[in-house]
Amino acid sequence: MDARIIILILNGLTQAALFFLLGSGLTLAFGLMRIINLSHGAFYLLGGYIGYTVMKLTGNWGLALLAGALSITILGFLFERTLLARVRGQDLPETLLTVALSMVIADFCLAIWGGHSLALNVPKALNPSITIFGITYPGFRYLLMLASVVVAVGLWLLLYKTKLGAAVRAGVDDRETASALGVNIDVMYTIVFLISAFLVGIAGVLGGTYLQLSPGSDTTILTYALVVIILGGQGSLLGAVVGALILGQIASFGSAYAAEYWMFLVFAPLAIVLAVRPQGLFGRTV
Amino acid sequence: MNLDKLTRLAKPILLAIGAILLIALPFYGSQYTITTFVRIIYFGFLAVSVGFLLGQGGMISLTQTAFFGMTGYAIGLLGYERGIPFPWPDLIGIGIVLIAATLVGLVSLRTYGLTFLMITLAFGQVCWAFATQNTTLLHGWSGFRGIRPFVLFGIDFRNSANFYWMSLVLFALGLYILWRIVHSPFGLALNGIRENPRRMRALGYPVYWIRFVAFLIAALYAGIGGILAVYYSGLIAPPTIHLSRAIWALLVVILGGSSYFWGPVVGTFVAIWLEVLISQYTQRYLLFVGLIFVIVVLFSPQGILGIIESVLRKRHLWITGWLKARTALVASGSDKAEERPGKEVMKKG
Repeated sequence: MDARIIILILNGLTQAALFFLLGSGLTLAFGLMRIINLSHGAFYLLGGYIGYTVMKLTGNWGLALLAGALSITILGFLFERTLLARVRGQDLPETLLTVALSMVIADFCLAIWGGHSLALNVPKALNPSITIFGITYPGFRYLLMLASVVVAVGLWLLLYKTKLGAAVRAGVDDRETASALGVNIDVMYTIVFLISAFLVGIAGVLGGTYLQLSPGSDTTILTYALVVIILGGQGSLLGAVVGALILGQIASFGSAYAAEYWMFLVFAPLAIVLAVRPQGLFGRTV
Repeated sequence: MNLDKLTRLAKPILLAIGAILLIALPFYGSQYTITTFVRIIYFGFLAVSVGFLLGQGGMISLTQTAFFGMTGYAIGLLGYERGIPFPWPDLIGIGIVLIAATLVGLVSLRTYGLTFLMITLAFGQVCWAFATQNTTLLHGWSGFRGIRPFVLFGIDFRNSANFYWMSLVLFALGLYILWRIVHSPFGLALNGIRENPRRMRALGYPVYWIRFVAFLIAALYAGIGGILAVYYSGLIAPPTIHLSRAIWALLVVILGGSSYFWGPVVGTFVAIWLEVLISQYTQRYLLFVGLIFVIVVLFSPQGILGIIESVLRKRHLWITGWLKARTALVASGSDKAEERPGKEVMKKG
């Protein structure tokens, strides 16, 4: 195979890793809570920016990652407890609250970090050039893929090997029955929302290192995350993996061969999947 | 009784005064006021489009800005750059909107609720990204600038007063037609689908196609708004069709009151003037608007019209109740006046 093709596939896998971090939390939250957090993209942006500032102040990339992830988790906790909990169970107000929050966060970010593109610098130690079978590729991207695999395995263990996960899955399948059987759905909501916020905070810092942060990347990122979960099916972890892999390759090959049109290519698998299986590849009929 | 007569009389009088004030605006308003009202009208078309789908059909669509932009891009590309004369670029633009709405509708209308929202959001963003990435046809980020309105039947629409009157007539006509649609059997069927699609299907209604036609109507309204917008602002570029504008339109509908016919119009009016006011003091307009929306969603989900209605109904109840109690008191002594007078009125309301 051509080296160029392999590089493109690797680029696609890197993208997919980021998309998975974005989509997995969102899909769980949607599957369980039946709400779609439209401020997911704004969380990503804010997490990345906070990471950027911490990186600038301390020069420690690990600390930046931690700060981005934790601050978004705290923000998610406050938002969920103080606002979302007040309108629980009503689709429209919940969605609108997340929409309004995304507006506030995006404008706040614009006020503080301005309109220019920013990026975190990767420390050299984390970004060695790795050569496998004669193909040299930045090490940080391998790290990103590794992080994504670790998160996927972690989520799988959490969902399928712990009592908490069993409760979450029960909630995804049938909220009322799970609640009647003694699962505290309210606590489950908060936990899943926090996992989702934590993952998107991490994604923000990773994405801010591997790509760039600028006003507007919040909505682009949100779109990717939504496409991943529509493709894969809502509430399905495996669906998020497959959706991210498909979208990653489309993004990589599309931007290489059809730079002006590739965003339309994103819509193609969406249309096909929806025409054949409206609930997504691995989604269940609700 | 007296009060009913009074309100029945007051309504047309107030409407007439409002209409005269609107029509005469170019004679007493400043250039800036006219511009603001034209903006209210073209964003009003967009909000009406979103509000019709949400209020009548229960569909939250975040793709209406894409239709809003498509006519603009058609005019920019065909009319401005290629020099095709007036009605053709506009008509082609409307045609493109209807074709795009057909494609999106066929795919997305298989789903309901939040999934529908996500698909429309994705499609809107795809259109936006296409506009930013395509430099050969659509000029990427810079878009088209300097588009000017046309001269028709000797009337120069480059004059802002003329343009305002044309927009006003179009808006009034559009709202009238929409009013008729909403109150037709079709509109009622759409309301039924909003409440319970399964039951409507069981009753034999072609649920999918009713929603589809509603989607086309909404797209058409957004497209017409886009035509007015591109001529008046002279500019069509990716920010016009960005998701934040779609979200803005959705929130504006909620602000006005999504379940009311006039909700989108009231919401647009308030939001645009709010923008004018806030931007005098700070650049953080969106931040404030976002916070206001959080408050509206939490404390008054029925929007401004909902607040007005509940205030009016309370006062109405209070006054008619008081009148009834008094007549009862005068007619037959104090024992009947002890009744709670509000009950009967409540049923009427």
